[in-house]
Amino acid sequence: MDNSGTYFVAGALPEAATPTEPLPPWTSTRVVGARLPRVDAYERVSGTAVYPIDVVLPEMLYAGILRCPHPHARVRRVDLSPALALPGVRAAIGPDSPGADIPWYRAQGRAWSRLLDRHCRHQGEEVAAVAAETPYQVADALKAIAVEYEVLPFVLDEEQATAPGAPPVHEGSNRVGEPAVYERGDVAAGLAAAAVVVERTFRTACELHAPMEVHGSVVRWDGNRLTVWDTTQGVFAVQAEVARALGLPLAHVRVIGHYMGGGFGAKLEAGKYTVLAALLARATGRPVKLFLPREDTFLATGNRPANRLTVKLGAARDGTLTALEITSLGAAGAYPASAAATFMATELYACPNVRARDETVFIHAGRARPMRAPGYPQCAWALEQAMDELAGKLGMDPLALRLKNVPRTAQRRGNLPYSTAGLEECLRRGAEAFGWERARRARPGRATIRRGVGMAACFWGFSGGPPSTAIVKLFSDGSATLTMGASDIGTGTKTVMAMVAAEELAIPVERIAVEHADTGTTPYATPSGGSKTVPTDSPAVRAAAAAVRRQVLELAAAQLQRPVEELTLREGRVVTPADPSVSLPMSALEGLQRQGVLVGVGTRAPNPEGTVTIPFAAHFAEVEVNTATGEVRVLRVVAAQDSGRVLNRLTFDNQTLGGVVMGLGFALTEERVLDPATGRMVNANLHDYKLPTMLDVPVEMACVAIDRPDEAFNSTGTKGLGEPATIPTAAAVANAIFHATGVRVTDAPITPARFLAAAGGKRG
Amino acid sequence: MLPHVRHVRPATLGEAVRLAAAPGAVVHAGGTDLLGCLRDGVCRADTLVSLAGLAELRGIQEERGKLRLGALATVAEVAAHPVVRRLLPGLAQAAAVVGSPQLRHQGTVGGNLCQKPRCWYYRGPFHCLRKGGDTCYAVAGDNRYHAIFGGESCYYVHPSDLAPMLVALGALARLAGPAGGRVVPLEKFYVLPEEDFTHETVLQPGELLTEVVVPLPPAGTRTAYRKVGPRAAWDFALAGVALALAGEGGKVRTAQVVLAGVAPVPWRATAAEKLLAEQSLTPAVAARAGEAAAGGARPLAGNAYKVELVRQLVREALLALV
Repeated sequence: MDNSGTYFVAGALPEAATPTEPLPPWTSTRVVGARLPRVDAYERVSGTAVYPIDVVLPEMLYAGILRCPHPHARVRRVDLSPALALPGVRAAIGPDSPGADIPWYRAQGRAWSRLLDRHCRHQGEEVAAVAAETPYQVADALKAIAVEYEVLPFVLDEEQATAPGAPPVHEGSNRVGEPAVYERGDVAAGLAAAAVVVERTFRTACELHAPMEVHGSVVRWDGNRLTVWDTTQGVFAVQAEVARALGLPLAHVRVIGHYMGGGFGAKLEAGKYTVLAALLARATGRPVKLFLPREDTFLATGNRPANRLTVKLGAARDGTLTALEITSLGAAGAYPASAAATFMATELYACPNVRARDETVFIHAGRARPMRAPGYPQCAWALEQAMDELAGKLGMDPLALRLKNVPRTAQRRGNLPYSTAGLEECLRRGAEAFGWERARRARPGRATIRRGVGMAACFWGFSGGPPSTAIVKLFSDGSATLTMGASDIGTGTKTVMAMVAAEELAIPVERIAVEHADTGTTPYATPSGGSKTVPTDSPAVRAAAAAVRRQVLELAAAQLQRPVEELTLREGRVVTPADPSVSLPMSALEGLQRQGVLVGVGTRAPNPEGTVTIPFAAHFAEVEVNTATGEVRVLRVVAAQDSGRVLNRLTFDNQTLGGVVMGLGFALTEERVLDPATGRMVNANLHDYKLPTMLDVPVEMACVAIDRPDEAFNSTGTKGLGEPATIPTAAAVANAIFHATGVRVTDAPITPARFLAAAGGKRG
Repeated sequence: MLPHVRHVRPATLGEAVRLAAAPGAVVHAGGTDLLGCLRDGVCRADTLVSLAGLAELRGIQEERGKLRLGALATVAEVAAHPVVRRLLPGLAQAAAVVGSPQLRHQGTVGGNLCQKPRCWYYRGPFHCLRKGGDTCYAVAGDNRYHAIFGGESCYYVHPSDLAPMLVALGALARLAGPAGGRVVPLEKFYVLPEEDFTHETVLQPGELLTEVVVPLPPAGTRTAYRKVGPRAAWDFALAGVALALAGEGGKVRTAQVVLAGVAPVPWRATAAEKLLAEQSLTPAVAARAGEAAAGGARPLAGNAYKVELVRQLVREALLALV
């Protein structure tokens, strides 16, 4: 699957462990599905949770990175000596220091740069690093380093990058590989047969992940073994990259994640900061803490690339799609990354004749990284606005047009059936909850301030799979520890996994402790990204708990002298449903007392063959637009999500509403701005980079959970949620603005300036 | 990272003036702008002269037809003050849309009026004209947020929401300095780049803004402040308008129309004021006033939309007062 690659950056995956015997679906649940607060809610809100940025070790030094201020430059000379002469400065490294030549940005079979490279291809590229006793001494030392740059010409966007004579970012063309083309059927014939054709070009903005916790690590050497506290979505990915960079055995690199303050895709890999911190720690013999200032995270830790997308749709008079053509040009930044954005368009609606083309180019700016559904929100922005326009031309309701074209199979993946296909249900139930028909009938009128409603749909093309291993330990008092490798990136992973274990063991969630995200102590997990943590890891957790449950029942059967089939677990006790006199607390199990703990290991079974499993969503928005000033207020949003079984409705709603808010930022406010003359970012801070505030978010936001377990897919019936919760929001808002005003704004974000420009003479 | 500074807290205004007059001294009130400026290297200071010990600079008092806003009165206090809300609703509106709740509770009237430009070149790693360089980066750069009026060699826009409203109300600024006190109309407090591109106000070294005196308007005066921002909170105006209309019923006798977010100073829309004098506020008059207010704008490459915003905001704000 095209987009899966972006989530696994650390080389080949290990083989899946032998899966445990498949478990039957739950027939009823007591814990799973409940609205439970997070298991770590107290720690998170009271401030006792220790995030990597909070870690302080004895004798620890602080470190910082000197970055290139230019979008393109060659470092002629670096003089570290003025920094080293300052009080408190313990080490400094530059492009000629040992370790600076560690290969970096590996892609297409080669490394495209080095840890500290004299050729800087974006503002914020790493030039030198220092370690000192205090953060202030670090700041002074960075200022003292003398660097001479040869400033070089640059390209800042996809148009400049592809213009004749454009300065190359790397040797040769500015293309990142050949354009990817997908085709089925005959688009020309489909367009010829169409009664109505629409074609339009859209542009999205480059957005930044802006997680609450800035990127960084604390590192400590014990002899030749390295421990890293990293704010990351995947401790094993970081372990692999750090071990490779430093030439260490995996077993000698322990990466601890635990709490982390958000990632959204920007923390799926090891940062240069981790390796620089390790080099400085080795040079000084002291632990080192290196966290980036907020400004640096905007420059050098990833972004959602800007895309220019052209969509052409043809449809018969009744709305049946006859042709779909989509082309995308996106900017990867200065090093190879994917800016592909057309995949969703090739499968969201039934269409026999499809052509999709993705081209990615280099520019002299920070490298793109996956950002909450890489490519999909951009695709939805273009495709779903084009569908809206098509509905208008056909005189059809936009919802009806989509219902007319719901696909029955995954058209790009061998026409395999979906194991559960929730698009139609999301459309219908979302529309019902929103009151779509009634709201759509209301006339926007001719007043200055007008209201309108819009909708958009999506899927996310991926639902995870092996490998995943989890361990459950049951203690002699009937409490348990769940050990798993996955990170909880703020989504509630720890909570829902504890609930799965609690369900299987029939003990309260409060009796379960979760150990997670530590390469030294937990089993392997892939990074928490791609909306796959729950569907990937929760079946392994269930299997591990089930393995313990089996042992408990076997020990009880022996102790009670009863057939094991008669026994079950309820509220921490072994009981026989048919005979109320049998009721043995787990803590009274002699075998458990003897053994001390019972250990269960569970692994993720392979995905079934012959079906495709993906989550779907449809979002509905109502807006109010001041047509004179271009101000847009989002009044309400309904998000209908088909993500299989809902493990916890509270965390489900949290994640969905968070996705909606992120989508509102895409639609209305967020945009990286590069100065055209100098190539430097002008809004690299949290004031000028405009994330939505609480007042930009409507009071009325609701989720419709389809909550249909996908029992054929995995033992918990779950699909992913994090990404489909944000993909269609922005397009729904844009469509609502069109409904209210008749103005189609093709470029995101829809600021007053862009609305007024698009409105031109249309305002009345 | 905040630079190392000495922090002093004088007990009297005289001592504050003396300390503030020393080279490298900067006055510290709420600190919501100052600390950011120091952290980002926008301004430098060896000594912060805290005004926190000067009780006489606090509070809001009504006195003989005037409202005295102490320099240390918080923006939130202005927004909530009963006299402001009753007699000067436009000022309450302006105060209520400053920044965010935290900023309004910590930020002061004096600080809001004396805040540094928010130009992203000035605040960012650009050695611009105002910081001693030789060019205004906004001219060839991304100037979507910059001035359409009064920009000459430097195109920042004045960030305050309070200032345009207070100018429209004819407020006076009381200053204390080494050479004694003086009072200047708030309108004359601000300096255009063409007069001096290194200073935003007439404050001399050691001189402090101690108080703003607002004459309470005659009965029948209507006031309003309305801004359009990039988002709904924690932001500065893309464009805004402060109105003070004297007159009875639908009739305007005299009008004060001051624009926010479009010029390096609160920008008086004189043509609109003239046009409105002795007029009835009809939709046609309001539209003409909007046109007049936008007249003479010289937009840069990326901010022509502000001209339309001014036109529409003035019209809309006037009609909202009918």
